[in-house]
Amino acid sequence: MSTFYIPLVFSGTQVIKEIRKWVYRELSEKNRFYDDSILITMKIVLILCFLVKIQLVLCYGNDTFTEELLIKPLFSDQVYAHFQFAVTWDKDPTIKKYHHTHLFPRALGEIIERHNIHELHISLTGGLWRYESWGYPVVDAAPGAEVWAWFKPDTVDIDQNWKLLANTLSGLLCSSFNFIDVSNSISPEFSFRPRGSTDWTTVNSTWLRYASLPREIVCTENLTPFKKLLPCDSKLGLASLLNSGFIHNTKYHSIALHLRPICRTETCESVSLELQLSVSLVYDYAILGTRNWSFKKLFGQGLEGKCPLSSRSNIYVDLSTSDSKKFDLTPTPDEVVTSIRGGFVNKYALYHISPNFLSISGRYEDDNEIFVKKPPSLYANQYLIGYGQERGGIVSKIYNNHWSALEVVLLQSIAWYVPVYLHTLKIVSNGEILKPTILKYIPGKQRERPYYIEMVLNLPPLSETLISVDFDYIFLKWQEYPPDANHGFYIGSAVVSSYLPLAKNFTGLPQDSSTIYSSFNASRSGYLVQVRTENMVITLPTPDFSMPYNVICLTCTVVALAFGPLHNITTKRLILKKKCETTLVQKLKLKFETIRKQLVKSKSD
Amino acid sequence: MFLYNYSILASLPLLILPGIVCVQLEPTFVENAKKGHTNNWAVLVDTSRFWFNYRHVANVLSIYRSVKRLGIPDSQIILMIADDMACNSRNPRPATVFNNANQHINVYGDDVEVDYRGYEVTVENFVRLLTGRLPPGTPRSKQLLSDEGSNVLIYLTGHGGDGFLKFQDSEEITSQEMADALEQMWQKQRYHEVFFMIDTCQAASMYERFYSPNILAVGSSMVGEDSLSHHVDPAIGVYIIDRYTYYALEFLENVNPESKRTLGEFLKVCPKSACISTVGVRTDLFLRDPDKVPVTDFFGSVRPVKLLSSIRMDTEFNFTDSPLRNNVESESKPNKYRYVPPLNKFSQNSV
Amino acid sequence: MKMSTLSSKHAKKKENTYFLQSCSKVVLLLCLAAFLRYLVMSSKYQTIIANHFEISTPICSWKRVQEGLFLLSRNIDPYDGDLLHETPTALIFYKIMSQNVFRDVSLMFIFFDIGTALLLYAATRHYAKQFHQEHRDRTKYPKDVHEYLPSEGYYEKVPLYVLVAFLFNPYTFLGCVGYSTAGIHNFFLALFVFGMVYGSPIVSSLALAICSSVSFYPLILLSPLYIYYSQVYKSKTKALLVVLYFLTYVYLITFYNNSLSKSFKFINNVYGSIWTVPDLQPNIGLFWYFFTEVFDHFRELFIHSFQINATILYLVPLSIKFSNRPFILTIALLFLITIFKSYPCLSDLGFVLSFLPNFLHLYAFCQQGVIVGVILFMTSCLAPTLWHLWIYSASANANFYFGVTLAYAIAQIFLVTDILFAQTKWEFTLKHGREAKIDGEDADLSLE
Repeated sequence: MSTFYIPLVFSGTQVIKEIRKWVYRELSEKNRFYDDSILITMKIVLILCFLVKIQLVLCYGNDTFTEELLIKPLFSDQVYAHFQFAVTWDKDPTIKKYHHTHLFPRALGEIIERHNIHELHISLTGGLWRYESWGYPVVDAAPGAEVWAWFKPDTVDIDQNWKLLANTLSGLLCSSFNFIDVSNSISPEFSFRPRGSTDWTTVNSTWLRYASLPREIVCTENLTPFKKLLPCDSKLGLASLLNSGFIHNTKYHSIALHLRPICRTETCESVSLELQLSVSLVYDYAILGTRNWSFKKLFGQGLEGKCPLSSRSNIYVDLSTSDSKKFDLTPTPDEVVTSIRGGFVNKYALYHISPNFLSISGRYEDDNEIFVKKPPSLYANQYLIGYGQERGGIVSKIYNNHWSALEVVLLQSIAWYVPVYLHTLKIVSNGEILKPTILKYIPGKQRERPYYIEMVLNLPPLSETLISVDFDYIFLKWQEYPPDANHGFYIGSAVVSSYLPLAKNFTGLPQDSSTIYSSFNASRSGYLVQVRTENMVITLPTPDFSMPYNVICLTCTVVALAFGPLHNITTKRLILKKKCETTLVQKLKLKFETIRKQLVKSKSD
Repeated sequence: MFLYNYSILASLPLLILPGIVCVQLEPTFVENAKKGHTNNWAVLVDTSRFWFNYRHVANVLSIYRSVKRLGIPDSQIILMIADDMACNSRNPRPATVFNNANQHINVYGDDVEVDYRGYEVTVENFVRLLTGRLPPGTPRSKQLLSDEGSNVLIYLTGHGGDGFLKFQDSEEITSQEMADALEQMWQKQRYHEVFFMIDTCQAASMYERFYSPNILAVGSSMVGEDSLSHHVDPAIGVYIIDRYTYYALEFLENVNPESKRTLGEFLKVCPKSACISTVGVRTDLFLRDPDKVPVTDFFGSVRPVKLLSSIRMDTEFNFTDSPLRNNVESESKPNKYRYVPPLNKFSQNSV
Repeated sequence: MKMSTLSSKHAKKKENTYFLQSCSKVVLLLCLAAFLRYLVMSSKYQTIIANHFEISTPICSWKRVQEGLFLLSRNIDPYDGDLLHETPTALIFYKIMSQNVFRDVSLMFIFFDIGTALLLYAATRHYAKQFHQEHRDRTKYPKDVHEYLPSEGYYEKVPLYVLVAFLFNPYTFLGCVGYSTAGIHNFFLALFVFGMVYGSPIVSSLALAICSSVSFYPLILLSPLYIYYSQVYKSKTKALLVVLYFLTYVYLITFYNNSLSKSFKFINNVYGSIWTVPDLQPNIGLFWYFFTEVFDHFRELFIHSFQINATILYLVPLSIKFSNRPFILTIALLFLITIFKSYPCLSDLGFVLSFLPNFLHLYAFCQQGVIVGVILFMTSCLAPTLWHLWIYSASANANFYFGVTLAYAIAQIFLVTDILFAQTKWEFTLKHGREAKIDGEDADLSLE
């Protein structure tokens, strides 16, 4: 029979020792080209780990996992659902080994280790978050894909690591992150400071890379690997509600991954690694067909129970709109939490997920009323001006609805194929010219570097500020155009960051916490919002893609037209020659004559 | 330390499992060893962009679904799709792709993993993938890590002509380039056998130039013939599948991992009356008789089991270097960590 | 004796009145031209004209200079990006000119345009006089060719024609109105021609060094300069001195450039981009569409061969052939640069076209004047039309505009080759007479 070797020849403690060694060796190998059998073994070990979960948790340190869902009926005709999963791993950052993870996804651990990452933020978004009517989301995300990462200061070649990181992420999340390189990445000075805790004395933006891919399409193939990063996969707990057919049927859907070190304790003597995974969805009542939402309508199914690995499994329903537009929740919530935050009182219905089946639904008492919209303090738009394909302008419009002045940072990363002229930059606020407090600008370079503009503006109270800059349409080499050249080229969204003094319409998490629950009653001195504007599409003029041979031939002909006569003029002399007017007939006769003569000659020979 | 031992102890019974599994699988395994292939890979490519080419995406996803159902894991399927149909704004049912107007099967599924998508689907990437000459840093999911024991299924669909296949309507791969790529694979021992399947107009022209051994090729139409689509779904508004793939899929739906249906049968699907085009087959490079080759040799997967005669035990393993050990150690550090405010406060004076 | 002094006095008087008359004419023309320019510049058409790619190429667009000056004022290295293609010295020059000397940019452009016109007038006056002097003795030539020799009022007419051709040439006019810095480059080219004709080594070599530092094409004009001094002024030492001066100036300018920008980045931005054509914005030249469409692996080959074609390919043969006529050589080389440079603009053509009245005596030998005139007229009308159709109304494509630029280049090529042919024929005729006869039989002129 088989000669397959099973370490059964050993017995008792010896077996344990040997197996441990064996597993160890395999695990510590840098280049992991496992024997196939080991792969199976590994999988089984993982399943086993899952089965004996609680005990194992202890032997890898205090990993915690929380899952939360926030449902917020918006003031407009939408309902917002935000899934927040957080894994914290009490890992000493001085030890640069990330192989042995428990709840934390190992694939990410390897990436952190290989590319020396301090913080990593990724979002993949379809649709645009409408700040003016929806308020602020828990996590801001730009349409398309957005990545930013802080590398540890001792990283040798950050550009190279960034490129490789993007490549790895493209494999991890089935996205086109591999199109990220230095030609579309910037290192913003102010907008993307580290979100987690650091031991750096100064923050140097050369360790930061930011890139966005506005063209990126987000679909099931991104969600599948995303779900695999969760400890319970999509089999149990809130993640089981993530059914692709219902997620992509929304007005806005965004999956995000935020990795950062956080303080383990209040005093911040040591840090843990925190991974926030979130899925934000905005359902439109028009698509749902009714204003009365339920789990079945939103996610296609009810909840079968919590993920057994999670230490907190909660569902919250925001009741802020219930005042003006009453809805009833079934089943009745376990408790109603009142949160006073930044001067605003909000009520949340809280459900603890039990092992029993749970399906929450909201029922409106009367169906056809119009909400009164309360626009948030700060929001922004972006659009293109000009017509034709010669010259145009980019305009960003920032609205400050707050009663006092707001200090905002505007970041624009403009692709190299949209050359902007900084001297045409105009900032007009309520009809008056506004001077930026700080203006950072790095001009772009064709095929090498994008244009980077970052400015700090002090927006007057209740104002509308227009920031415009002119650009030229550029002509590319024909092989640089994408297959659908006439679809157009994308310009990513601008990012407007600010600390809001009031938490009006604000749902974001405070910097020092990782759960929605901890954002209740979390008043701080300011509330960070990072408003993302629309993407823009410009159609660059195109050459005729079928012309290369013709153009090469024609142009070379023209060059030859000059070469011929000039060659004649310079190498030949003018001389007089006797006129010998020979017509065609005469020529033929002459030729015939010579041929005849030759024939006669050959005959005579 | 104790806890760690405990965990290993707990996992012991399952560690023994592969051995048992292996013993149970013994007969199939020996068969496979005779056939000579030890693993299966699939490279499935849709080369067409734009909504009206929905059917090509449906084609490739149908095959994807079949090979996945028959046992090839996602890690061994390289799926290239040139455009997004599932989440296309013109798709009335987002995140779905159907290959039948009855909308029975969502071939896009809930767990699809697309490895190359959109602009990444280029001739260069395709040839690089086959020949393994990928740039450094390419993730594993984008690599064809086949070896001399791999049976590789290559499925292509798109718009083609005599001797070429268009990629995204902007470039094309010629039959000669295709043949050379396969020859390079052969020389680099990247396959054991290849089943080359192509659904495009004048498909037979694409495999005419092959000269490497152990390739079985089938094309949906002969040179000079068009390949036709099967039917239109009025709800989606475009043709949703091509004839040849439709009938091939009909056949594959009745195959399960244990079934004994042969490639010979598979090559006869879609007779001219059904396909309208003539299905072309090239068997001269293939050493075995297709009638004796099970379909699952290419569409299914061999379990990744390897015979080991001994396990090398590294007795000098250094435990002090263990990452786990390091993990357990935690030094008390002075309070030096802090949260950096995510936004600076700036002075008011203008520059 | 008396008679002769009297007649000479009379002649001088006559000349003086001529001079006064022509002076008043020149001033009138200059004022009219300046006024017209200012009129259009202050109208709304200025931006429309300035935005046209035919007038502002990446190399000579005033908008880019403004961007450079703005970045400079914000302490950002303007050579960090790739919008600016002017040298650091030029940038400082523009800064002083536009901010300290002239309050109004339009005045600066008008000033330099008028300056160019005056220099051209002076240079051609001197040259025409020399030329007239040279051919005064009619007895040297066969009788039937006298009509081909410069007539009595030649040296009065020609410079005036040149002046008109420059000032009221639509190409230079549009270039000036559209703030094309090529107009300012042309000022230094005119200064070079002026210095060369007047035999001033310092002026001519300095002007040439300035021109060559802006773009490397005028480097090849060193050859006619050398020939001019060695042939016309018959002084090898002066000729060598000019070359020496030139090299010193080039070195000094480069040194100054470098010390201004504190790095050699500008070399890539200025000369690198002129040589390798990275900006494929359409213009009236031959490069843009060719390098948009050419296959990537042939790019290098074609770039180098095109640039060699524009610079040194015709330099040696033409220098040898026209070594006795360095003025014509200068114009021919200027023409070829204009046709084959990577980013030509209308001002360049306008500048060389204004030299044409110098070849008045060749008129009888030119054969393609009508064709060239018609093509130039047609292309000048069609180019903006087809551009609009392509870029704004999307009803034409790049091929149409490309076709126009091809025709435009062909017209210029015909023009320059026609003049050079005419020149050789003219010389031949002066030597051998008008009658083309061998032993009393009819004969044909042919090149062999």
